[in-house]
Amino acid sequence: MRKGKRFAGWVLSAVLALTFSLTACSDSGGSSQSQTNGAGGKEEPVKLKFSFWGDTIEKKTVTEALKRFEEKTGIEVEPMHVPADYLTKLTTMVAGNVAPDLGYLSSGAALSWGADGKLLNLAPLIEKDPDFKKEDYLDQVWYEIAPGNVIGMSTAVEGYGLMYNKDLLLEAGVELPPTEAAKAWDWDTFVEYAKKLTLDDQGRNALDPDFNPEKIRQFGLQYDPYNMMAAVVSNGGNFLTEDGKGFGLARPEAIEAIQKLADLMYVHHVSPTPLQTKNLPDTALQTKKVAMTVSGNWALQAFAEQDFNLGVGVLPKLKESNTLLDGAPTVIFQSTKHPEEAWLLYKYMADPESVLPLIEGGLWMPLKKEWYTNPELINKWAAGNKAHPEGYTEAYMKQTIENGIRTPGFEVKNLDKINALVTPALDLVWTGKTTAEQALKEVEPKVQPLIQGYYGR
Amino acid sequence: MLFVILPMITSLLLSFTDYRIVNTPKFIGFENYTRLFDGTDQYFYNSLWVTFKYVILRVPLGLVFSFIIAFVLNMDFIRGKSVFRTIFYLPSIVPAVASSMIWIWLFSPDLGLFNSFLGALNLPTLDWLYAEETVVPSIVMMSLWGMGSTIIIFLAGLQGVPRSLYEAAIVDGAGALRKFRHITIPMMTPIIFFNLIMGSIGAFQVFTEALIMTQGGPNNASLFYNYYIYRQAFQFGEMGQASAIAWILFMIILLVTVIFFRTSKSWVFYESEV
Amino acid sequence: MSRKRRISQWTVYLILILGACFCLLPLFWLVRSSMMSSLQIFEMPPKWIPSPFHLENYVEALTTIDFFRFFRNTLTITVSCLIGALISSSLGAYSYARLDWPGKKFFFGLLLASMMLPGAVTLIPTFIGWRLAELINTYVPLILPVWFGSAFDIFLLRQFYSSIPRDMDEAAYVDGAGPWTIFSRIIIPLSKPPLIVIGLFSFMNSWNDFMGPLVYLNEESKFTMALGLQMFQSLHSAQWHLLMAASTVVILPVIVVFFIGQRYFIEGITLTGMKG
Repeated sequence: MRKGKRFAGWVLSAVLALTFSLTACSDSGGSSQSQTNGAGGKEEPVKLKFSFWGDTIEKKTVTEALKRFEEKTGIEVEPMHVPADYLTKLTTMVAGNVAPDLGYLSSGAALSWGADGKLLNLAPLIEKDPDFKKEDYLDQVWYEIAPGNVIGMSTAVEGYGLMYNKDLLLEAGVELPPTEAAKAWDWDTFVEYAKKLTLDDQGRNALDPDFNPEKIRQFGLQYDPYNMMAAVVSNGGNFLTEDGKGFGLARPEAIEAIQKLADLMYVHHVSPTPLQTKNLPDTALQTKKVAMTVSGNWALQAFAEQDFNLGVGVLPKLKESNTLLDGAPTVIFQSTKHPEEAWLLYKYMADPESVLPLIEGGLWMPLKKEWYTNPELINKWAAGNKAHPEGYTEAYMKQTIENGIRTPGFEVKNLDKINALVTPALDLVWTGKTTAEQALKEVEPKVQPLIQGYYGR
Repeated sequence: MLFVILPMITSLLLSFTDYRIVNTPKFIGFENYTRLFDGTDQYFYNSLWVTFKYVILRVPLGLVFSFIIAFVLNMDFIRGKSVFRTIFYLPSIVPAVASSMIWIWLFSPDLGLFNSFLGALNLPTLDWLYAEETVVPSIVMMSLWGMGSTIIIFLAGLQGVPRSLYEAAIVDGAGALRKFRHITIPMMTPIIFFNLIMGSIGAFQVFTEALIMTQGGPNNASLFYNYYIYRQAFQFGEMGQASAIAWILFMIILLVTVIFFRTSKSWVFYESEV
Repeated sequence: MSRKRRISQWTVYLILILGACFCLLPLFWLVRSSMMSSLQIFEMPPKWIPSPFHLENYVEALTTIDFFRFFRNTLTITVSCLIGALISSSLGAYSYARLDWPGKKFFFGLLLASMMLPGAVTLIPTFIGWRLAELINTYVPLILPVWFGSAFDIFLLRQFYSSIPRDMDEAAYVDGAGPWTIFSRIIIPLSKPPLIVIGLFSFMNSWNDFMGPLVYLNEESKFTMALGLQMFQSLHSAQWHLLMAASTVVILPVIVVFFIGQRYFIEGITLTGMKG
């Protein structure tokens, strides 16, 4: 019996090793030569493959940026825009040993592939490069597997704030949301105003004793549960505990924040439930279905094309005024034959100047600190255009750079699997079936064994 | 065949390994299987149960439904057959992005057509896709609507029933019902059998609806088996584990198919074997 | 015609028309959304008729992506697959239904079994196979497998062949016909409806296939329409009006092909009717 098992194991390993080494070998061919500049020998032209996702605007901008890089450096770049199912495509390519040289990657895959050594450690390249200073870039954007193993930085900065239809607030006589952190609304003020802005089919607002929550015509705000971490961090909580050993969402400060979000839907009736959200269009602000919404800066790109009086403000605070900072990374794959050239391209794409249309259009925020402080640079993107309304520089830029807390995606190990347990548990909270306390305490023992701490510490 | 068999064998081998795409597969015996059955994996039994529920509803309903439609569409007196056939096939042509938008609206608890209808009849409204109890039946409803291919196969089959048989039956004085029971049904058994097998294989692998409309929710109530495999493979990158999960499904489908084939001798009527 | 009979016929019609309306709904929805602005699409309660009509959506949709190139690419793949599917499945099914050869049962089982394993876990091994053959970023992985027969098609045809009376080939056999003559003179003409069904399905499959092109094609110049449609949707936003317009254009040929294809069913009746 044991012998049989060992034999089976041996055959299996042999077959697998064969298949996988075959795929590996055929690719490693010219990798060593291309780096050494052969004296007089004909150099094969370097060709990089850059993979990315995004809508038609992003596709256009990125493709153009890659083209300019090509013209500038003579290094050929093949853009690979993946229209959907990005991770499936990339997973297949990596497994087949035909990964691109560099490209976007979702944060979960980036961290786990990085931990398995499939992504290039950028630290040595950064150190060698006299033109590149890590300090020039936002501190929060780096993805690190461990100290000294840097796999990349966010493709772009994404920060959260409050966006609203100014006309609706003025009509209801509601004070406009503050744009400075120090003046951020506290939660009760926020709920009070949201109630004033929530109207039923008879035009009564949620403060009216006759208000009918069954027939809401206009919601005061939309706080999508997807963005719940913003409330959690504002209440001093986080996904894991500080030491990385405990399930932070089951701690009182997180539970309180999550319960408060659920109460917006089921106690105060000012925010749409997940069911009601399904009926809300992307144009809810413009069409006056919603007065205020909590969202990331990327939404500005679409809002700028709509016709309404857009305003922005900082998020309401629970304990402290802060915001959530997000942004999936761009990475270089370990399998690249041209790490030096890939790094040149990496640097080029990280420069806000190269992708200015996306930044100006509101989809992205720049990676470089100077672009948040130097008025001349700010003028290039955040002043005087429709995607960056008055107050943006404070409410989004200043808040993000000064009080931006990273989403768990940057550093929590095993996040996807933990979320596979947490999301269904929270479904029960968002549909009003249980309390946050009950749901999170119940799921905590199942989550606990999956907790492995933080990357990069 | 090699295109199909070799990858299958590879995935069977991988199911005995720890393979997370980025590493070299390492042999770990039956570990991927045991952790499913002993409950270490928290989704396995749940997704099996959800999928069984779907199959048991979907397969019989689908067969009866599409057979009736095909039969009606094939009746002699119906005019404009071409147009009707095309129309009944339409739902399976329209891209999922468009049809899922419509279904989200139809199922919408507040403003949806179904609930307005129930409300008008003074019946209690339902939460359809958004409640654990109703999500699977709702998805079954949706899939019945996309039955075009099965209807077409039945139609093609009905064309093949020789007219002389019906004519002979009329001479014998048989009524419509007897013709249906004693000629149509027996002559159609090979096709019914085909649709039964294919319907079951397809139903066990239900996937797209879960991906587009529910992402397995609410609370895993539509975490269909195939979606669970996909998530394990491409979201968690656990290819070895995913292969083991897939091979269990393979065994289940195989078992069901073998049972169908065994019993088929007693009810499927092959002209050529008489 | 008796009164009772007429009433029952009208009931059947009524049910058919109701069902037809329900089936037409998505197409109607698609077309009406394709002529609306992105604002109008989501109005609640929904508007049935666009006003004003935004026909320019079509122009914009077809120019935003390289539509005609995608169309050509899709057509190339679809036609190649269609021919392959018809040839391979009719031959394959014939040999399973009529010929005797060693291991027939085993291979038929294998054929069926190949449909029972979810594609998610064979995707990567298959990809590695094509990668070793150096055929990534070509249409070969999308076309060649069809030429070796799809399990679904072969099984379907086998079922139809099995319902063709065997005395017909035996009679031909006595007249000195070989298996090839029987196949081309008796089996094929008698199985027109199922062959049309297979043709239609094959057309539909490759026309709408999304995963295959996504995984195997890298260069945009080789993309198909199914991939092109995805470009209107992204993580944070979707250009619904353009997506709907492009989708309408994509499914139009399918409807036409289907409408033409299903007409041949009628021809099938007379043929089988005569011989039976």
